[in-house]
Amino acid sequence: MLKLSNLKLSKEWILVVVLAVLFIFMSIFAPGFTDSYNLTNMLFQIPELGILSLGMMAVIITAGIDLSITYLAALIGVIIATCLTSGMPIGLSIIIGVITALAGGLINGFFVAYIGVSPILVTLGTMTFFKGVVTLITKGNSISGFPEVYGAIGNNAILGIPLPLILFGAVALIAWYLLNKTVWGRNVYMTGNNPIATMFSGINTKRVLIYVYLFSALMAAVAAIIMTSRYNSAKVDLGSSYLMQSLAVAVLGGANISGGYGKVIGIVLATAIFQVLSSGLNLIGISSMIINILIGVVLLSVLMINFFSSKWESVGKQKTI
Amino acid sequence: MRKKIVPILGTALLSLGLLAGCGAGKDKEATATNSEDGIKIAVVPKLVGIPYFNASEEGVKKAGKDLGVDVIYTGPTQADAAQQVKVIEDLIAKKVDVIAVAPNDPAALTPVLKKAKAQGIKILDWDTKADESVVDLSVQQIDNEEYGRHMADLLVKAMGKEKGNVAVVTGGLSANNLNTWIDWSMKQIKDKYPNIKIIGEKIGTDEKQQVAYQKTLDLLKANPDLDGILAYSTVAPLGSAQAIQEKKLQDKVSLIGVALPTDSKPFLEDGSLDTATLWNPINLGYLTVAAAKALAEGKTIKDGQDIPNIGKVEVDGKTIILGPPSDFTKENAGDFNF
Amino acid sequence: MKKITQQKEFGIGLVVIILGVILTVMSPAFFTTGNILDILKANSVLGILAVGMTLVIITGGIDNSVAAMTAAVTVVISKLVVVMGSGTLSLLTVFVIAILVGACFGLINGILIAVTKIPPIVTSLGTMTIISGITLYISNGEYVNSSMLPAKFIAFADYKIGGVSILIFIFLITAIFTWFLLKYLTVGRDILSFGGNPTSAMRVGINTTKVQIFVYTYMGLLAGIAGIVQTAYNKGVDPNGFSGFELTVIAAVVLGGANIMGGSGSILGTLLGTLLLGIMQNGLILAKINTFWQEVFVGLIILIAVSYEVLKRKREEMKLSKVEIEV
Repeated sequence: MLKLSNLKLSKEWILVVVLAVLFIFMSIFAPGFTDSYNLTNMLFQIPELGILSLGMMAVIITAGIDLSITYLAALIGVIIATCLTSGMPIGLSIIIGVITALAGGLINGFFVAYIGVSPILVTLGTMTFFKGVVTLITKGNSISGFPEVYGAIGNNAILGIPLPLILFGAVALIAWYLLNKTVWGRNVYMTGNNPIATMFSGINTKRVLIYVYLFSALMAAVAAIIMTSRYNSAKVDLGSSYLMQSLAVAVLGGANISGGYGKVIGIVLATAIFQVLSSGLNLIGISSMIINILIGVVLLSVLMINFFSSKWESVGKQKTI
Repeated sequence: MRKKIVPILGTALLSLGLLAGCGAGKDKEATATNSEDGIKIAVVPKLVGIPYFNASEEGVKKAGKDLGVDVIYTGPTQADAAQQVKVIEDLIAKKVDVIAVAPNDPAALTPVLKKAKAQGIKILDWDTKADESVVDLSVQQIDNEEYGRHMADLLVKAMGKEKGNVAVVTGGLSANNLNTWIDWSMKQIKDKYPNIKIIGEKIGTDEKQQVAYQKTLDLLKANPDLDGILAYSTVAPLGSAQAIQEKKLQDKVSLIGVALPTDSKPFLEDGSLDTATLWNPINLGYLTVAAAKALAEGKTIKDGQDIPNIGKVEVDGKTIILGPPSDFTKENAGDFNF
Repeated sequence: MKKITQQKEFGIGLVVIILGVILTVMSPAFFTTGNILDILKANSVLGILAVGMTLVIITGGIDNSVAAMTAAVTVVISKLVVVMGSGTLSLLTVFVIAILVGACFGLINGILIAVTKIPPIVTSLGTMTIISGITLYISNGEYVNSSMLPAKFIAFADYKIGGVSILIFIFLITAIFTWFLLKYLTVGRDILSFGGNPTSAMRVGINTTKVQIFVYTYMGLLAGIAGIVQTAYNKGVDPNGFSGFELTVIAAVVLGGANIMGGSGSILGTLLGTLLLGIMQNGLILAKINTFWQEVFVGLIILIAVSYEVLKRKREEMKLSKVEIEV
């Protein structure tokens, strides 16, 4: 009982409950769900979406949105692929990819922070722009045939733990550290809560915003590296379906779309929920169209639960007053 | 304190309620399968929910019933290679015996298909070729070169002359098989009809009829001296035909497209689409399952072998070819059910 | 002259005119009656949806589900016309039902957003996923072509008044009515004041819940109309044909100068925004610009246009504050 009363009904706890219920349900009803093969499988699948969602979350905390994230990832992937296939060493190719990412992030950040255009519009424009550039470079074809070693990043495991997952863990830890333990992180939340007050308290909100878009671009870069390595190929629409998913994961993970709130752990949990749901339903043999519907339903349900639980809480508080 | 538990319970109940709906879906799925220990064959299209792949699904299901094997037909809802890889990974977890896949991006599937192979799963590609080194067998509707060249020939026939201006409209700039056909058609024109001029680059239409319609309208205006259009993908010809129909250019501009006869019938009838050419996607689905079954049982299909319900097939090494494409014209479009 | 330049639609209007002049020079086919009518007809659906989205954006909201709603309505129409037969009356019934179905979707959005206060961008993302999933599941993505539609419907689709397609008229009437609603009806003023400042709007006695529900229901209703226009334009139904279209709709509205944070936006601006996107698509082919460069250009033009808008707004604000200091 003591435990229950201590149990704070935060958004993250609701996610834990949802995840647990889904996991148990799938273990019972989805054939082969708890097989070690399937579990490893899921661990391989989580990172791409999780990392993109982390980037999306950081932008959402500042009351923004990044619609360009998946096509930026495609652009980075194509640049890396071009470098690799032209015989450059892997390290150099990745560095060029990261530079591409920073350039992309800088463009987004510049328009948002210095010109002051709404993030949704800037990234709508850059999304089309990045997509156009990729199509221009590749003429719509895919680029493939990378060195074997490069493929290891996305496909190998150390001590049974998939490398992409280790990368995801590392990135999540870094993101957690940056957002919670650094001045920049505090400023990110403050900017999201009240940009004007933050500016007047002497914080350079422009710089904070630029760094947020650089951060999301770097997340796109990590995701791009994992994707190109895992799929051994780069193409304009590779991973394009992650856009709406990463937005949904960020929101499901508790990020407040009007800014000011969002936790790394929420993203991790929400990504896991998505994964359990889609893998489990696939194993049961449910049409992928229905899976899409259910993901929408879960998204809305969790949001409503958040809404009603906060309402109940405030009602309770009022009564005690 | 009670107030805090209620929402948790609510959450749990809601999640369960959600999933109760899935139970119903499960029953439906179960009826599609025949035997418990039989061969399990998974057929993965590029995406689900478009007429072309619905037609092949019909063939796949029919073959499953006829041949007494369990078939699973599942794929992503968007033509995204990343989603397709996930579908295949889930199928590996499901321990199927054969996976037949129509790759969105052949190279992107190589790692996951290798993984499947390592689990003892036989690999087939269909519709579009995957990486040759990982597939055990390949079921192709058609020889890509032959098909691409055939389209160019059809256009010249429809134009009635070996010179003029021709434009290319395609479903998606990044669609692999469409690009292959376009390249072969262009080569055929270059080799055989040097007086035909290709206008501009291929025009992408997002696999959407209204986009193909708009862009063809613009194309017709921008090039009043246009004589012919080649339209690739099963959607683009419909939009292009609609534009020709609206501008009443049936006699001036010839159009050849990759299209299903039922969809293109109204346009074939008034001549806005001269010829639609395609294989029978139902048969393609059927042949895929038949080949997958043979593969699982360790049998081989020989060149010229007669497959029940399909007819004779060509075999070239690892590749089984359904046969030459069917050309649909206003005379025969009504005879088909796909 | 000065007055025109101070209009807030001036910027976007100027961009449209400059682009128009460039294209006229580059292609003789651009500035012809036929082509202008083609552009209008091709963008009727975009225009109708953008008009509705203008109201939504004025309230500081957004509706990601427009494309999904429109696609759902087209599927409903395709199922109904087959059942209903081909009389004029039954065709009208189909239209009414289509519009009602759209309005119902909108009502659901409105209630969810107004009552639960979940941000519209997320709510409509959820409803979008659900509506498009159900549409695809029910229709299985099957096309409906013109031979399956009744002759009356085809006649409606081809109907012209003075050489101008009825679809363009539907688009313009929708726009004019919405303009009238926004400018002269109480609900329009409520929408503007709610968007400007929801809290003070509530304080002066505006029922903000009602305003929000109205705006989203109206959006749904227009999606219903757009569904009819789309079916007529295509003379067929493609359940997948709208994926991603919501972003184009939003782009049209914000290019027209609506503030995505709410409070400002105009129907005229939105019409110009729609026209700009339409002309770009049309002109890129007419001007024979290499296919592979097209998206690069579209992206750049969006960036330039929205930046211009913001910079202009900033400059005006600066001028205003200067005046205050001088006084």
